[in-house]
Amino acid sequence: MTNEEKLNELLKQRGINPEQLTAITMEDILAQAEGCTHLMDIYYTLKNTVDMEYPYWYNRVWQENDGDITIVRRAKAMAAALSHMTVTIQPYEKLVMNKTRNVRGAFPFPWVTASFFNAQAEALMSEADAPALSEADAVSIVGEGGGNVTKSYGNIISLAKKFGIRKEEIPVLVEVSKSWNGNSVEELSNKYARYTPGYQLEQNIMESVLCMFDSYCIPQGREVMNYYLPLQYGWDGIIDLCDQRIEETMGESDGDGILGMGRGYYYVAMKIIAQGMSKWCQNYADRAHYLASIETDAVFKKNYEEIEAVMAHIAHKAPQTFRQALQLTLACHYGVVNEDPQSGQSIGRIGQVLQPFYEKDIREGITTEEEVIELLEFYRIKITCIECFASAGVTGGVLSGNTFNNLSLGGLNRDGLSAVTPLEYHIIEAGMRCRTTQPTLSILYDEKTPESFLMKAASCTKLGMGYPAWMNNQTGMNFMMMNYGPEGMNLQDARAWCLGGCLESSPCCFLPLEYDGKITWIPGGAGPTAGSGVHFVGLPKVLELVLTNGYDHRMKRQILPAHNRKLDSLEAVQEEWVNYLKQIIDVVNKVNNLQMDIWRKHCMPIVNSLLKPDCFTKGRDLGMMGGRYNATINFESCGTITFVNALSSLYKNVYKDKKYTLEQMLEAMLHNFGFKTSYETGVFSPDFREATDEASKYAQIFADCLNAPKFGNADWEADQFLKWYEDTMFGLTRSFQSYYGKPLYMCQISVSTHGPQGFVTLADAAGRLAGTTYSDGSVSAAAGTDKNGIYAIFESATVYDHGTQQNAQMNLKLHPSAVNGVQGTRKLLDIVRAYMRKGGFHVQFNIVDSKTLRDAQAKPENYRDLMVRVAGFTQYWCEIGKPIQDEVIYRTEYENA
Amino acid sequence: MTDSSNIQAVLFDIQAFSVHDGPGCRTTVFFSGCPLRCRWCSNPENFTVHPHLMFAQRVCKWTSGCRACTQRCPRNGLAFTEKGPEVQWEICRKCHTFECSSACASSALKVCGKYYSVDELMSVLKRDFNNWGSEGGVTFSGGDPLLHAEFLKAVLVECKKLQIHTAVETSACVPESTLLDIMPLVDFAFVDVKNMDDEKHKAGTSVSNRLILSNISALKASDWQGRLVLRYPVISGYNDSEANAIRLIDFMKENGLFEVNILKFHRLGQTKWEQLGHTYDYAASGDVDDETLQRLQSVYLDHDILCYIGDKTPF
Repeated sequence: MTNEEKLNELLKQRGINPEQLTAITMEDILAQAEGCTHLMDIYYTLKNTVDMEYPYWYNRVWQENDGDITIVRRAKAMAAALSHMTVTIQPYEKLVMNKTRNVRGAFPFPWVTASFFNAQAEALMSEADAPALSEADAVSIVGEGGGNVTKSYGNIISLAKKFGIRKEEIPVLVEVSKSWNGNSVEELSNKYARYTPGYQLEQNIMESVLCMFDSYCIPQGREVMNYYLPLQYGWDGIIDLCDQRIEETMGESDGDGILGMGRGYYYVAMKIIAQGMSKWCQNYADRAHYLASIETDAVFKKNYEEIEAVMAHIAHKAPQTFRQALQLTLACHYGVVNEDPQSGQSIGRIGQVLQPFYEKDIREGITTEEEVIELLEFYRIKITCIECFASAGVTGGVLSGNTFNNLSLGGLNRDGLSAVTPLEYHIIEAGMRCRTTQPTLSILYDEKTPESFLMKAASCTKLGMGYPAWMNNQTGMNFMMMNYGPEGMNLQDARAWCLGGCLESSPCCFLPLEYDGKITWIPGGAGPTAGSGVHFVGLPKVLELVLTNGYDHRMKRQILPAHNRKLDSLEAVQEEWVNYLKQIIDVVNKVNNLQMDIWRKHCMPIVNSLLKPDCFTKGRDLGMMGGRYNATINFESCGTITFVNALSSLYKNVYKDKKYTLEQMLEAMLHNFGFKTSYETGVFSPDFREATDEASKYAQIFADCLNAPKFGNADWEADQFLKWYEDTMFGLTRSFQSYYGKPLYMCQISVSTHGPQGFVTLADAAGRLAGTTYSDGSVSAAAGTDKNGIYAIFESATVYDHGTQQNAQMNLKLHPSAVNGVQGTRKLLDIVRAYMRKGGFHVQFNIVDSKTLRDAQAKPENYRDLMVRVAGFTQYWCEIGKPIQDEVIYRTEYENA
Repeated sequence: MTDSSNIQAVLFDIQAFSVHDGPGCRTTVFFSGCPLRCRWCSNPENFTVHPHLMFAQRVCKWTSGCRACTQRCPRNGLAFTEKGPEVQWEICRKCHTFECSSACASSALKVCGKYYSVDELMSVLKRDFNNWGSEGGVTFSGGDPLLHAEFLKAVLVECKKLQIHTAVETSACVPESTLLDIMPLVDFAFVDVKNMDDEKHKAGTSVSNRLILSNISALKASDWQGRLVLRYPVISGYNDSEANAIRLIDFMKENGLFEVNILKFHRLGQTKWEQLGHTYDYAASGDVDDETLQRLQSVYLDHDILCYIGDKTPF
């Protein structure tokens, strides 16, 4: 008998439950499917690749249809592009399709933005030096390892510091871009932006990286897919429906003199895109047929034949098996992510959507649970391969190279009962076996969620990949009712919500899927993107400008109009901060509204406008508010806690204790407290300091700034400023309107912008040095400043109601020893539950030893598969930029020695 | 209600989400002061009962020219040579004002230990009570919480009013009456028995084990209903022998005890010894391998004693 058996025996005799001693350890988890290992090897080896097939066909058919109704013209271009792309199928694949012919493929969208390529046409053609970069791009640092192509080499030209494109494709890139010279969304919106009052101010704001994102860069994403229509009707069924609707609506205004006539064109466009999607699927069937015909290995041959059967079926008909249904959702997903540069196009609660298919297959013995898990593993790889081509600032600086295809689990069903399905256990299991960055998993934690499911999820979180993250279902529902109630959202639809993007609560609805002789109400997205608006305003930078009267000492320029106010109280500082923020939102919002308005007029969603309710019912595309809920556009903040801590120190040192005058404080900040800046040292971690000769001069004020009360210690002196901020922002953001005519609200995810925006911000009153990364998340403590442990952070983070905003982000780093052993899973769940009980919206964990991360930074080659949680997503360590690596290492690690 | 408003104790840490000090998730309160002086101690900062200074040279920014501490110290307690900063421990151990630590921006100079009143500690515990979950609670550790019996009892009484689960980690090296007075308010206890051989116990911890063992017997003989788990760090060449285990087994059987938790020796406290200006005896010795722990575990199990290694415990 082993010691463990003996111990269990004795525990039983003593009446102590021996089950408590068995916990999942790494060894207990089954290895990923063999095919997945092969496919992951391919993934690890291959680089991010841009090719021009899709843009070539899109552009060609678009130009051929010059003069046609825009939505029809765009549907034709898109359908042509999808159905002309070279089809590739890798050996071992069971789920097929890709964005492009390449495994990690992507392509530029010159109709969205072409100026970069046009400006660089000559340079690209002559393969000269790296093209010049915009300000946001120049301060964004892309991870250098893994699949990123940060430099040109051999026959490969580096684009956006991330993608490689083969030299022979450059002429196509240049040629296609040329046709969009002057009329891409970017250039058209620039043209009209000049008419906005405050345009120069907006330019200043963007150049100073006070705000760092243009909406046209990622016009879609941060929303939830809806797979209902194709699952219910299949492409042929949809084509028939379109014909019916065309007959009903063409030439009919139906009482709507503005939009009524548009319905006919909409259905024509939908028919075209359904045909294109069908053809695209059929191409894979044909390819698989060909591969089967030349394959000599019996196993591979059978594999190709199965693929052929699945693809031929879903090219036309509604799915009849789980595998077909899963493959069809994947086709839809690729269809949508190929229509615009996107991130955060989320899968939603697919374990509930596909449950009826799974249930029938298992009952009828068509498949086994193990086969389903294997398919779900393949699915992970497919989603991981989704890349997004945007500028370096967006891809590296904002997104850390991740495309945030979030998969949500749990929550409540339409009847208000736990929505957890047996299939969702398998989704987690697949995530434990096949450890890939995507899809990241999100648990919608509700008091009704079964304990066994929560334990399963906690066992997965424990493995250290950063997923699943934990979201508060009730808090999310509260936000839904608050934000979408005015559009008529009821409690049932509120229950359908989930994450669209890393952390964005997205409006959804339930639709009745008729399958297997019954109706299942399946959840899915019901609104457009939340990925645009006024995005990533560096709150600490705004405060800096309040103190410097609008002058940016980094750029040596006046950025905001001087307020010329004597800042003789903290209230005065706060008021001027609010005033500046209003000015910023006002001008940035107008420009972004224009960008998105031009996008929706010229590049409206097509596939997404087919899928998203109630577009098809209304006969109206997503850009024209065909979606059921449209108040999705938001203001996005960065550096919340860095800002809160700076206010707290100003209050303490300047206004309350009056230990320093504001001038003294400002002088110390401008002199970086006597340290070299991170621009000089190249180190962005908040804990690195290299003194100059002036260090001793500022030693005391620096210590006092560091020692001022900090957020995250259950100390009201600091936490009150978070409460003030949240209360202020609630009304402030809602006083501005999106291009949909709906109020903005606040999204509080920094993604990776806390790197670049920290980079442009001087030292602050809390002792953060110039150029160093802001605090991550929106309610995580600034690294190293939380001295009272996790429970104190929870207390600080919940001084306001998280249901008032789209999200609140809490990142925690736990040492693996804190949750290992027999009871670790339960204890991890205890901590999640503790935060949820307080109304905390979200918590996610990095369960990794900082020593490991330091070693990985030094020897990335040994850690190709190491994953960390960055903001709302997991990414390969070697593919994130150094400032964010430094920040993750420096996060406080909770352990138990 | 006893008047506990004036009682204070020095705590050197309050650790939230403490997961290896009793059932469930807990908050562990570390008291300063200990009757033992274990040569391998991982919390040597608790040796002093009063707030005192610690200096972490590793994080000191002296190489970048920082001398903020010397500018603030009124006693010339700190000096800098080419080799770096030097703390004049004979001066600094007597200090109770710690100007240097408020001048230090790197947290290299830190004050260890802070006076808490019963109310202050209870407000922290009440806050954390929201977080423990159904299994957890508070663990009083140290140092030795039983050195602060009056304060501890006052806190325990308040905890019991709120139905908080309570645990202690103690050396049990206190007067029997103190132990028996406190323990009725405690649900769960860890008592360390570092060595069954009295001479060796003295050599390792500077005190005899006789009071400890008699206290354990007295506790078990009382009508205390709590759960008692014995604990010790297994240290190579000191208490890793089978003979020591057998003697402990005999003792446990005599006293109706059946749970022991053996911990693998670690050196996580080494830098703290240095930060306090002490030398650490176990810098290069004391390590045990996993086989030794498993061999010891099987000895206990063969004698029907539940033996848990490290954090692999059923709580």
